[in-house]
Amino acid sequence: MDQEEPLKNEQIERVLSPHPLSFMKLQFLCIFLIIWGILLLWLVNFSEYKGWFSDNGWVPIVVVWALVLLVFGVIASILTIRWSIFFLYLGIIAGGIGIMASFNWLETASLFIPVWSVCMSILGFLLVEWYRRSHKYIISNLRIVFSGGIITKRERTLRYDKISDINSEQGILGQIFGFGTIIPISQSGFGLGSDQSFAAGGAKIGEKKVGFFGLFGGGREVQTPRTRSYYELHGVHPYKEIKKLVESAVQESVITPYQQEQVAYQKEQVDVQKQMRDLLKKQMEPKDEQEEEEPKP
Amino acid sequence: MDVSPVDVLIFAPLAPLLGVLLFWFIQLLFIESYKYYLSKIKRKHLPLCRFTNFTGILFQTICHALGYTVTISGISHFHVNIHYGRVKPKKEKKGIFEWISNSFLFIGPFFIPASLLLLCLFFLLNNTSFHLSSGTYVSFASGLQTFGTNLYRFSEGFFSFLSSIDLAHPGHLGFLIFLLFLGMGIRPSHIGEDKRRKVDMMYDLQNIKSHIFQKPLYLLILFLLVYVLFYVSFLLNQNWYMVLFSVFGWLSIIAIVALFLAHMIVFLIKTTDEIPGRWKLLPYIILPTSYILMRLIFYFYPAEFDKTASLLIMIFSTVAVTFLLLYYKTNKFKTKTKMEQLKVEDGPRRTIKK
Repeated sequence: MDQEEPLKNEQIERVLSPHPLSFMKLQFLCIFLIIWGILLLWLVNFSEYKGWFSDNGWVPIVVVWALVLLVFGVIASILTIRWSIFFLYLGIIAGGIGIMASFNWLETASLFIPVWSVCMSILGFLLVEWYRRSHKYIISNLRIVFSGGIITKRERTLRYDKISDINSEQGILGQIFGFGTIIPISQSGFGLGSDQSFAAGGAKIGEKKVGFFGLFGGGREVQTPRTRSYYELHGVHPYKEIKKLVESAVQESVITPYQQEQVAYQKEQVDVQKQMRDLLKKQMEPKDEQEEEEPKP
Repeated sequence: MDVSPVDVLIFAPLAPLLGVLLFWFIQLLFIESYKYYLSKIKRKHLPLCRFTNFTGILFQTICHALGYTVTISGISHFHVNIHYGRVKPKKEKKGIFEWISNSFLFIGPFFIPASLLLLCLFFLLNNTSFHLSSGTYVSFASGLQTFGTNLYRFSEGFFSFLSSIDLAHPGHLGFLIFLLFLGMGIRPSHIGEDKRRKVDMMYDLQNIKSHIFQKPLYLLILFLLVYVLFYVSFLLNQNWYMVLFSVFGWLSIIAIVALFLAHMIVFLIKTTDEIPGRWKLLPYIILPTSYILMRLIFYFYPAEFDKTASLLIMIFSTVAVTFLLLYYKTNKFKTKTKMEQLKVEDGPRRTIKK
């Protein structure tokens, strides 16, 4: 929604975007890359192990660099259940080696790899910032409009009367800097994700010839409030104020028990009136018939 | 040496104990002063105060959990946020177990963060810093002397390490960050939130006092154990008793240094707050830039005290830039002509509101 195009009787209360530190999970990947780049620069050029690295050429430098990145990538991927992190680091490693090989810079690996890591990290920071800035949340008196995305622009409009539940969370950084995430869950279940856990085990019977591999396991799924950052109020500041604003807007759109009673009473009234009208109609009908019949004789 | 039996039996064990108490009291004063400075910058730097709050509560909660672990009560619930921390034991144990876990809660935050730093120092300092006087001691005076010597050796190593810390070395840099991080979190857990009651040094001391006098029998048992340890060390001519208290002394020294550095950080923040506009960022830019520049110069023109010199120049250049900014960009030193004119016209104590 453009701010200039509100609906009829719509008033915009707040226009928000995520806090700069709200994408810390993504920023941390860049922070790790920059720290590891600087650490490698020190390890290879200034530490007491520099002799070992310089004696064995570029191979150990590349191997150590790649191994640490991949191990971190695997751990981060498992923890966040997002394999794109692993492939991202794999891409950085492949890109670095590819550039070194194509330009014949392998001998300068001790300098190139740290510089490459730092450059990739800075690029990562810029991309995260660009992604953050693509988010825009508009809170009006009628609805919340979420929008975001760098290449594909996504938008979600949610009317307050369609919100069935509000989930909110505030991590430690959020508590310190006063931002947090609010996920409004719609009646259709939009805003809900699921955590899946699966336990499996394998068994091998026999030594050489006869082999049997069995897999058995069990899964469990837990419904949890989770959605994309452009479909929730991600890392909004000031958190408490926004939460109160949304909750009160939802509350205002909900029919209270008194209002429900009134509606039921009005329905009852309408039914009674309908019955009376029908009765009146019925009473009127025979008279008409009689009047019609009278002139005949 | 002629020593009276009363000295050996009663007063000698008290020597390192009193030494530790003295250092702990200095630590308390530093904490109190740190809290005061934090409260001064609270309005403009609420996130920083929340952060120190969180670290303080985190340490306290960890100490409490450690208390439950030591007393084999188990932990059923552990929760920390920036306002409070909560630990619940699996089994509610009463008596001495409860007393011990509460001791961890009240006294632990003063020593446990520092013990983590001491652990790091084992890898960074040379062995001579951790050298302890062997054998036992016989009198109160010689006890104080031995305690002082142990602390002096450690302090010498620790301070020479700090004065020549190599910030280009990841281990050293990590230690400094850890030192500042822990220094900020040593018991400042009332800053950042609205004060419901006064949580200060007296509050801490009252808590500890009531905890001790709540069960005087346990305190007596503790004292007896301390004396027994001294007598055993004395009879076997071992330094066990002195080692125990010397380590506590080291922890206090580390905590005091950490608090001192945290003071410097808070003081820098407080001072730069008075500088208007973006100029206030200049000291923070000068701080790392001057160090990196000096290290680069010393890399190409090596000198004997390159690290210490770089550190000193970093500190002096930051202080000088801050001072100059205060001088030229503010009227902190009351040197601006307008102010002087006002003083002349109006007298030193009054100002005219036109």
